[in-house]
Amino acid sequence: MTATATITREEAFACLCAIAGPADTRLEGDAIRVAPGSTGQIAEVLRFANENGLSVVPTGSGTKLGWGNPVAPEIFLSLARMNTVREHAWQDLTCTVEAGCTWAAMQAALALRGQTVALDPLWPDRATVGGIVAANDSGALRLRYGGLRDLIIGMTIVLADGTIAKTGGKVVKNVAGYDLHKLLTGSFGTLGVIAEVNFRLHPVEQHARSWTFTSTDPLRFAKPLRDLLHAQLALSAAQLRFASYDCALDIRICTRPECFDAQAARLGAIFGDLAMTEANENVWQAREQLFACADATIVKASMLPGEICDVAMGFMRSAAAVDVSLVTQATGLATIAFSAPRAAGANPILGAVERLRARLRPAGGSVVVLQMGEVPGEAPGRWDCASDALPLMREIKRRFDPNRVLSPGRFVGGI
Amino acid sequence: MCQPCVSSIKLRLSVLPQAQIDELRAAVGAAGLITAESQLQTYECDGLTNFRVLPGAVVLPQATEQVQAVVRFCTRHRIPFVSRGAGTGLSGGALPAEGGIVISLARMNRILEVDIANRFVVVEPGVINAQVTQRVASEGYFYAPDPSSQSVCTIGGNVAENSGGAHCLKYGFTVTHTLALEVVLPNGELAHFGAPMLDATGYDLAGVFVGSEGTLGVATKITLRIVRRPEVVQTLLAAFKTPSAAGQTVSDIIAAGMLPSALEIMDRLAIEAAEAAVHAHYPMCGGLLLVELDGPGDEVAALMREVRAISGRNGAAEIRVAQSDAERALIWKGRKAAFAAMGRISPNYIVQDGVIPRTALPRVLTEIERMSSAVHLRVANVFHAGDGNLHPLVLYDRSIPGQEEIALDLSYRILHLCVDNGGSITGEHGVGKEKQQALGYMFAEPDLATMQLVRCAFDPDSLSNPDKVFPRPRLCADKPGPYTPHPLEISGAAEIF
Repeated sequence: MTATATITREEAFACLCAIAGPADTRLEGDAIRVAPGSTGQIAEVLRFANENGLSVVPTGSGTKLGWGNPVAPEIFLSLARMNTVREHAWQDLTCTVEAGCTWAAMQAALALRGQTVALDPLWPDRATVGGIVAANDSGALRLRYGGLRDLIIGMTIVLADGTIAKTGGKVVKNVAGYDLHKLLTGSFGTLGVIAEVNFRLHPVEQHARSWTFTSTDPLRFAKPLRDLLHAQLALSAAQLRFASYDCALDIRICTRPECFDAQAARLGAIFGDLAMTEANENVWQAREQLFACADATIVKASMLPGEICDVAMGFMRSAAAVDVSLVTQATGLATIAFSAPRAAGANPILGAVERLRARLRPAGGSVVVLQMGEVPGEAPGRWDCASDALPLMREIKRRFDPNRVLSPGRFVGGI
Repeated sequence: MCQPCVSSIKLRLSVLPQAQIDELRAAVGAAGLITAESQLQTYECDGLTNFRVLPGAVVLPQATEQVQAVVRFCTRHRIPFVSRGAGTGLSGGALPAEGGIVISLARMNRILEVDIANRFVVVEPGVINAQVTQRVASEGYFYAPDPSSQSVCTIGGNVAENSGGAHCLKYGFTVTHTLALEVVLPNGELAHFGAPMLDATGYDLAGVFVGSEGTLGVATKITLRIVRRPEVVQTLLAAFKTPSAAGQTVSDIIAAGMLPSALEIMDRLAIEAAEAAVHAHYPMCGGLLLVELDGPGDEVAALMREVRAISGRNGAAEIRVAQSDAERALIWKGRKAAFAAMGRISPNYIVQDGVIPRTALPRVLTEIERMSSAVHLRVANVFHAGDGNLHPLVLYDRSIPGQEEIALDLSYRILHLCVDNGGSITGEHGVGKEKQQALGYMFAEPDLATMQLVRCAFDPDSLSNPDKVFPRPRLCADKPGPYTPHPLEISGAAEIF
């Protein structure tokens, strides 16, 4: 137990057992892992931790637990037992899901009525709704359907002091009160524990086809990409892939069967003499595949759509001390994997990340390290925030969690 | 606009001390300061005219620094301030605070940057909604949120209210299109939320600020997403016997996997009013459905065939598709004029803004009809049917003693009905002054207390648009009603006239 703790680990364990039951409370390394079975139990666990100065990290399946600054909490609050789709009002295109439900399980339930939460996060088979929301993950579908900010219509959250609060509602259009769910989305477990999420739904894409264009010159895609977003196409997703010296642009169109030919013709016209190949749906796994290399340092970079090809070109031109693979969505969100040989001396990845930060910062962009590779030498900072709103963010944290119980230090600016 | 005027209270308040007026003049210049009572009256209410308060002064800053200077003045003297755009709000959000300062952003009306390649624009808060589209139209783009008042309402006000409009079913609300904000915080400090690109690092403060109804500070620059204008837009009118039949058609369209850009329903009373006001040539029927589809031409054509078939299956007596832009514009003119048109069929009316899950539509309409006939009042219904946003218009005659109170009571009970059916008290007009108590019906105390944490982090002294949105503590247990005397009035510091 840390200096702030007021009780021993054994005492804490016994109390947590009493709340969640002995079967769902166990010791895990230096921490205690407890899995409450209800929102009420989450509140009890948090109230107990808050009163006793014990730090808590909420967790689903742990796929993104390494994201953000490292935290060694006294308690891992597992949402594993809260894993059901509570309500699917299919005629209203809304659903309510418990935070511990895996993304794939939720989608399978919604698919029974041909509906979906139109987002393609990482590791859907394992990642949970709560974790995806807390990390604000999103994939290529964001181009058409928006991000979690646009898809979440309400939440049930539990604050550090055990307060259970609802925000938003179960209707898509609603401006009553503050949208606390927007504050919680992407808050990395620092403001409260997400217990339930209400989503707006879309019909499952019935008919979609993908095409790939390839080139060795990323700048060759600059104009077509601009024209693509300006064209009258039923775009569902678009991404630039770059690895070593190969570059590809994948495009997904979703429309009615009778309209594909006309759409494909328009697409071909945009890309002129570049070869157009019908692609397998697997190309949309490219972002996730970057994470397959456990040694890589992986960042999320946020840039303007107009910078996408230029940034890729920059990597191609830079020295070969660092291997770079990237997948950039047409929205300007990039996932970039850096690898470097294990050599003594300066960490070459540090330089690559800092150069990218310097490149993107003037327009307002940022680079956040998601996965830190094991390379000797100084590592880049996880977060990248030059915002003058940081004092306000700290004040919000202080109001929500005055004892700094929830994921202390994990977020930007040491929040 | 014809609006209820429950008690038409005006609080005549002592003017600010000369020293404070001098400070304000130094902040915004003599031309940017209004203190004469006759001129202040312009600012005593917004589109909800039954609440009126004369402000202590009105300032018209022309730059962010001037807004900061005014807010710092307010902080120094603990004087509340209310920011204001065009004053078209329908929930009293821009009602001045007693003795406070109104910050009119009308003169901060420049479009600062247009970036077509990256699809955003940067505007000042006083820019009018429709001007954004006008500015980018020649490039083939538009600004999607389209509240009915879009030809006069400002982006700053849209940000405060998270305005929607008829097309938000497909395109989303103001928050969907707000990328970044420059905000003067209630302590006078400047802060920047978000970025022109997605997922700026840190908490989504822009997401929280949009829709906070002026209670978290003053937005002085707004970065908005612009959207590619669709290749084809088609608008269909289908006439049904009842609003429920039109509602069923909406459900079937959604169930078929379509996402039209707009789905609107008007009932017979609303059609009558719109016809009387703008002669939109609507078919006279019990439930008129308006469906708008947009996108690539071939796709729209295919979907429109399906919509026609679905409408036919649900018994549409007449189906029309607008054949020209002029016809389409006329259809929309009738719909967007529907509120104001009520003046043609009723001396007074109350606009409400409840939301219900779409499937609750038939039973809620039946219940509204039962409730209104029980008190012998007419209720016209205009709604954004795709997202369940009802605009029941309670019609009454103020000259009949007691009828206004009955009408108000009915309008609040309709909001409660929406909440009881799993919906919300407001879909786009905001809580403002009007629905403070109703917010307490929708949210429990812990929910409201959690929202207050945000409020206190931004504005610990409650100077930015105080006494709005949240239920008044002293009235928490009270039944919402048309009018409660203000403490200043009770104490004799202000008078009613």
